[in-house]
Amino acid sequence: MSDFDWFPVLLSLKVACLATALALALGVPIAWLIARRRVPAAELWSAVMLLPLILPPTVLGYYLLLLIGRQGWMGQFLEERLGITLVFTWQAAVLAAAVAALPLVARSAQAAFETIDPHLEDAARTLGGGELAIFRRVTVPLAWRGLLAGAVLAFARAMGEFGATLMVAGNIPKRTQTLSIAIYDAVQSGNDSLANGLVLLISGLTIAGVLVMTRVAGRE
Amino acid sequence: MRLTVRGGPALVGLLALLPGGCGPDPRAAGGPANGYLPRESSPLTVAAAADLRFAFDEIGDLLARRTGRRPVFVFAASGQLARQIEHGAPFDLFAAANVEFVKELEEKRLIVPGTVRHYATGRLAVATRSALKSGEIGALTGPGIRRVAIANPAHAPYGRAAREALRRAGLWNRLEARLVYGENVRQALQFVATGNADAAVISWSPHGPPGVRFFAVDPRLYSPLRQALGIVAGTRSEAAARDFCALLLGPEGRSILRRHGFAPPGRPLGREGG
Repeated sequence: MSDFDWFPVLLSLKVACLATALALALGVPIAWLIARRRVPAAELWSAVMLLPLILPPTVLGYYLLLLIGRQGWMGQFLEERLGITLVFTWQAAVLAAAVAALPLVARSAQAAFETIDPHLEDAARTLGGGELAIFRRVTVPLAWRGLLAGAVLAFARAMGEFGATLMVAGNIPKRTQTLSIAIYDAVQSGNDSLANGLVLLISGLTIAGVLVMTRVAGRE
Repeated sequence: MRLTVRGGPALVGLLALLPGGCGPDPRAAGGPANGYLPRESSPLTVAAAADLRFAFDEIGDLLARRTGRRPVFVFAASGQLARQIEHGAPFDLFAAANVEFVKELEEKRLIVPGTVRHYATGRLAVATRSALKSGEIGALTGPGIRRVAIANPAHAPYGRAAREALRRAGLWNRLEARLVYGENVRQALQFVATGNADAAVISWSPHGPPGVRFFAVDPRLYSPLRQALGIVAGTRSEAAARDFCALLLGPEGRSILRRHGFAPPGRPLGREGG
């Protein structure tokens, strides 16, 4: 075990943390807009947000590839204007995991926001609070439990993300090979003992990560 | 979205700000120095057909001993690797299980001109744990064979060869209901090794999992699996890729490939070794 390759472990932790952060950054504001009916056809958007959960991960990966791939409109823009190629990098794995985790964040956050009495926010408005300050100091503290639940689900989903990641980030050892993909690779090459070890590792890490998140955030 | 648009440095910087030490810097942790940052320092990355796994691992050992730098291998079905190269995968060298996928990429100018070479000829075989007494492909229709695994013909050259052989032997229609597709030859072999398929029609290998025996399929039943490679256009490691090719095509590479069941390029296949 002395030459055990820790790269997939570190990469998975990094990807899952960043994907959770990205999913929260995108999912929470969207959930608030939907919950407060600040967008037209809010119910429709709420359902559309579930798409990454509905689509098979490889199909999700395929659409991401169409979007950020070399021929995709975003991929072309990034490559021509900024010289960045996103596909087959670990950043693409972050994007794939974040998209896969987004519905879990958005749903939990939306449910949390909907249980908050809008009068509390209105009361803060009459006291002259700005919209951002109200969101930060009234809405988020009240919705905290739901947001945490969303973050925990997102982290677990991001740790386990496989199909879309394989499509957009590939299976490149030392570059894009996450734990889930390393397990798949070990099984494929008949290396059962490595696969079993990695399965224990990813299970332990994810459970520990979720416990830490719950403990640290739940203390508030 | 902006996070990812800004690319590596922004994300790494943001990571450092995250509480709880998410994803420590692998260099600080004494881990591998590659992969997180610039591509220049990356090792040679070889996209290789799944049937090459054991032979190429051995070639990787040889290179590591000789140069101190071990190439990174990405194994998958050749068609999947070709698609990944079209989408910009950062591979330096592509070693396919046929010549068509490499030629296809060459026509799209994704292969450095003049670098396409045959490096080996593959053999098709029936792999089985013990259900079969003889290696005749016709035995696959016998009782006791409920599932036959092949690599997915949609993107695996050995899957195509297996389909062709079963068709020419007049077995396809009878066997079609029993077929299961693996992503690539390794997965098809894994189905046999775990007892979930009774036999597989895949690449011949003398170093299969314990208990699995290989019987060569009559080479007249399928078009030759002329395995070809090419250097991927846009590589930053062209010199290292050329060195790898020279080793693979030289006497040492030939002997490693021969030991792993491949015939030399260009020579018609006999039935030796089955």
